[in-house]
Amino acid sequence: MARPGPKEQRYDRQLRLWGDHGQEALESAHVCVINATATGTEILKNLVLPGIGSFTIVDGNQVSGEDVGNNFFLQKSHIGQNRAQSATELLQELNGDVSGNFVEESPEKLLDNDPSFFNRFNLVVATQLPESTLLRLAEVLWNSNIPLLVCRTYGLVGYMRVVIKEHTVVESHPDNMLEDLRLDKPFPELIEHVQDYDLERMDKKDHSHTPWIVIVAKYLTKWFSEKSEQLPKNYKEKEAFKELIRQGILKNDNGTPEDEENFEEAIKNVNTALNRTEIPRGIEELFNDDCCLKLTEQSSSFWILVRALKEFVANEGQGSLPVRGTIPDMMADSNKFIKLQNVYREKAKKDTAAVGSHAAKLLQSLGKAPESVSERELKLFCSNAAFLHVVRCRSLAEEHSPNSCSRDAIISHMDNPDSEIVLYLMLRAVNRFYKQHGRYPGVYNYQVEDDIGKLKSCLTGFLQEHGLSVAVKDDYVHEFCRYGAAEPHAVAAFMGGAAAQEVIKVITGQFFLQYLQFCKYFGVLPLTGLFCSVLLAN
Amino acid sequence: MAAALSGPLRPELAQAVSQARVLVVGAGGIGCELLKNLVLTGFSSIYVIDLDTIDVSNLNRQFLFQKKHVGRSKSQVAKESVLQFCPEANIIAYHDSIMNPDYNVEFFRQFTLVMNALDNRAARNHVNRMCLAADIPLIESGTAGYLGQVTVIKKGVTECYECQPKPTQKTFPGCTIRNTPSEPIHCIVWAKYLFNQLFGEEDADQEVSPDRADPEAAWEPAEAEARALASNEDGEIKRVSTKEWAKSTGYDPVKLFTKLFKDDIRYLLTMDKLWRKRKPPVPLDWAEVQKQEQNIPDQQNESSAVLKDQQVLNVRSYADLFSKSVKTLSLHLAEKADGEALIWDKDDPSAMDFVTAAANLRMHVFGMNMKSRFDIKSMAGNIIPAIATTNAVIAGLIVLEGLKILSGKIDQCRTIFLNKQPNPRKKLLVPCALDPPNPNCYVCASKPEVTVKLNTHKVTVLTLQDKILKEKFAMVAPDVQIEDGKGTILISSEEGETEANNHRKLSDFGIRNGTRLQADDFLQDYTLLINVLHSEDLEKDVEFEVVGDTPERIGPKPSEPTSRNISNGSDDGAQPSTSTAPEQEDVVIVDSEDEGTSSNAEDVESRSRKRKLEKGCECAGAKRSRAEQEQDQDDLMIVESEDEGAASSLGEEESRSHKRKLEEKGCECIRAKSMC
Repeated sequence: MARPGPKEQRYDRQLRLWGDHGQEALESAHVCVINATATGTEILKNLVLPGIGSFTIVDGNQVSGEDVGNNFFLQKSHIGQNRAQSATELLQELNGDVSGNFVEESPEKLLDNDPSFFNRFNLVVATQLPESTLLRLAEVLWNSNIPLLVCRTYGLVGYMRVVIKEHTVVESHPDNMLEDLRLDKPFPELIEHVQDYDLERMDKKDHSHTPWIVIVAKYLTKWFSEKSEQLPKNYKEKEAFKELIRQGILKNDNGTPEDEENFEEAIKNVNTALNRTEIPRGIEELFNDDCCLKLTEQSSSFWILVRALKEFVANEGQGSLPVRGTIPDMMADSNKFIKLQNVYREKAKKDTAAVGSHAAKLLQSLGKAPESVSERELKLFCSNAAFLHVVRCRSLAEEHSPNSCSRDAIISHMDNPDSEIVLYLMLRAVNRFYKQHGRYPGVYNYQVEDDIGKLKSCLTGFLQEHGLSVAVKDDYVHEFCRYGAAEPHAVAAFMGGAAAQEVIKVITGQFFLQYLQFCKYFGVLPLTGLFCSVLLAN
Repeated sequence: MAAALSGPLRPELAQAVSQARVLVVGAGGIGCELLKNLVLTGFSSIYVIDLDTIDVSNLNRQFLFQKKHVGRSKSQVAKESVLQFCPEANIIAYHDSIMNPDYNVEFFRQFTLVMNALDNRAARNHVNRMCLAADIPLIESGTAGYLGQVTVIKKGVTECYECQPKPTQKTFPGCTIRNTPSEPIHCIVWAKYLFNQLFGEEDADQEVSPDRADPEAAWEPAEAEARALASNEDGEIKRVSTKEWAKSTGYDPVKLFTKLFKDDIRYLLTMDKLWRKRKPPVPLDWAEVQKQEQNIPDQQNESSAVLKDQQVLNVRSYADLFSKSVKTLSLHLAEKADGEALIWDKDDPSAMDFVTAAANLRMHVFGMNMKSRFDIKSMAGNIIPAIATTNAVIAGLIVLEGLKILSGKIDQCRTIFLNKQPNPRKKLLVPCALDPPNPNCYVCASKPEVTVKLNTHKVTVLTLQDKILKEKFAMVAPDVQIEDGKGTILISSEEGETEANNHRKLSDFGIRNGTRLQADDFLQDYTLLINVLHSEDLEKDVEFEVVGDTPERIGPKPSEPTSRNISNGSDDGAQPSTSTAPEQEDVVIVDSEDEGTSSNAEDVESRSRKRKLEKGCECAGAKRSRAEQEQDQDDLMIVESEDEGAASSLGEEESRSHKRKLEEKGCECIRAKSMC
């Protein structure tokens, strides 16, 4: 009998979120984290615990007293030693399944001497990097098509940005998934199955154990023949349709209706069960995407499958996506339920096979091996066909260029002077300060007063250069000076959780990404919460 | 080192932090993160309490624990690990329940701030009251999968944890479990009861054989009552004999199988009124089943043990598993000292095999689709998915809220929700302003008062004590006096003083419509005035109702596939198991590695573990529940907040959608088909 092994026990609680295939993806990933700062090690901790395959820390710094003060994975005894190595040792202890590596070199040096170094990773996380280094790194990764997560803790402000050319999600785990029942467009096998039921000539027990899907399908036929050629659409029609079903409830000898829960279920489900089967707009857009239309040898299996899906829709699917093949639990005896379930399952299998054969033809024409799309991948893809999702971000270079910096969006957001976007502008201003002065503002208390003026002029310079005619409150300038580029542990811990979550989403290819976030906690301004926007990333 | 902090923390705040004495209740997922954050934020006096011990499934996020620590005290190991990293930290660890009377109001008063990192409502209620009594600010938090929440409670300023009634955990009626299961969860609960009947501590409330007194089976209510009486006596005998009988057969798996899945089912079929509208069960015959082929595990998936666990096998395979696990468990039982029993634990493979097999066989008998071991474990153990990242985010926020409190800015504190995905406004984290106290709260109002509807001729003093005062109103050791001018003592928390009253009806003491009872909990420094509203028309299986309370709800229907369909982070498998256990009804939510808790079985377990832990001590904790755990998804769903300031419309929208989620759950519940 199947018994969970040690790994399954250890990871049990997370397998229930992303499944064993998500876990497999995680376990085969190699992630690079630049800088073993508090933010860096907190992210790593949250990747090592769930069992990332391996990590490599890149850090040329020595451990300082300040590091020991805010970083759980650095100890007093490490002071003066290399930060990458020290952190790796302690992080490694968290999980023996994870392979930890370190490189005692600054990212700048690596970029100078061996930029291809970064090609070996599935994803790179950059924490607390100066802007110039970040832009260089981002360019290298962009060209190699490696996802980058930028993460920064600056005083009480957190910043996170995913930089990814294209990210495709099959399992987006949408919140409110409607069932895919095809009652509006019943497929032949379903029609046939429903015809096998004769509600008029059933004994009472069978009548009250007929699945509601069959009941709705039956009465829909009746509706079409007696009332209208169209599906009940509005409230009035749906009520009329419900009444039609209600009349079908058996009556006892006194003429009072019996208690038939399955009919009640049918009536209750009318509203959602009669939704029209159509191709969601997002999927329609994927069909018209260049990546789908112009397949090449380099095309990913995702796009090959999108194309196969498109061809299925145009042919066997007769305008519809493959049947998902699952039905909700319902009042019915198991025999009837299983038969009905099998009708949907078999149809789903058939549709999946049809998509599969389109895919096989496409693979062949591209000169690819047929097994480059696995059976499991195909199945997962088809059952999620309505929820496929593609994310495309702008490069960091584009975001930073004065010519393409989302000027209008920023200006319109700044109509509210406390919009979170102000935090972004301030971060850009401190970056400029760093570039001009070789340090961040207000690192030592004695500098704060002086630096306020300097930071203000950096901000003005930045806004002018980017043609941003917006006013930033002085409060923000003061606050950012006071931060002194510190990395308080609680904020780093928070960012560590949020960023690791995004890394896991990118690696597992499940769930929606956040693109970009800011958060700010307290101080002179009311808590504004965590902001996330496609504004700058798209 | 403090240099890193002097920037963002103003000097006054940095000083307040270093002088604060804080209590962390729970050293699980949130607790571990929290201890680290506190130490590194400069807190120098930290107390931590947790009664739990470390389990393997904690290790994917409770980073202060390693494999070698499995089985040891969470609070103790957490302290040692933190000290290893930060030797200068000053941590005091208690391996104990926070509900122990040693931790009285005086104990709480020494703290500047209390932070809950719990996973069950009983302990949350209790800490809430202790903090109100001691007037110490409390930061409450919880996570479930991707969802999380943090809020601040301050006496007289904000809502307390109990200001808004939380839906109580619906327990399943005995006759649904014993006679007419209609959902897999009913069969799983039954299988767990069966485990206790056969191998564990027997409990009269966990009967598994057909219930002849099922009123639904009788035409006349009077007749049902007569049958009930008769079967009670009968039941007594039976209960004693289930285990004895099993022993006398030498735990012969075939004989057990035949009794449970054939003879008992045949007996049920004779109660033909039950099957007029239901599909009747189909008895299973051992010899017939043995003719079936055994399942050969899916070759394709051989590589992954996880997948194997997720496969549904056939009846023959479950029959064999039943037989095998009965044999193993009876050997385990034989190794125990006389009178000692096995304790159900979802992480004990044989115990889990037994429940998987017995539940599936019963599901099959009652025409339900069988479930995989993985799914059954989820439902039986009330497992809530739990990940490091959510806990990290929430623990970070707890400290930031704590800093606001320490800087005297409680007005800036917020209830913060962490969502699974960004809402339409692209927010992942939604702050909502704190609400003022509910003037009618039966806990934090100046003179707490409630009206309870019950039948004074039926409700016993014991029911009043265990189900109403302890379970419903979360008292630990209540004293009750009748406001009859004479001050008659009905219940005393002193042992031995009022036990004689236990089985007498309230009406025997002159309690009738309009009587007022004064209930005191000395430990919680809490007095509740109860107005009795006598009623004879309560629904079946309902012993009492609190007037103005939200009706009880059953948890989401647990029959959908659990592993993939995670709609809101609390996988539906995480739902209720059962349990009439007085102290842990809401453990529904538990991140079970902390212990499936939740059902009677575990209740027993916790009690007996407790005993183990308290060797030598007087077992004061017989009624104490497992306290320190994390995660209670309840509070993720119940909160509704209003908002103000810049984020206002967003917050409001969000809290509304939280509420909606709750309502959706409610809807699902209505759909659950408890027929009894």
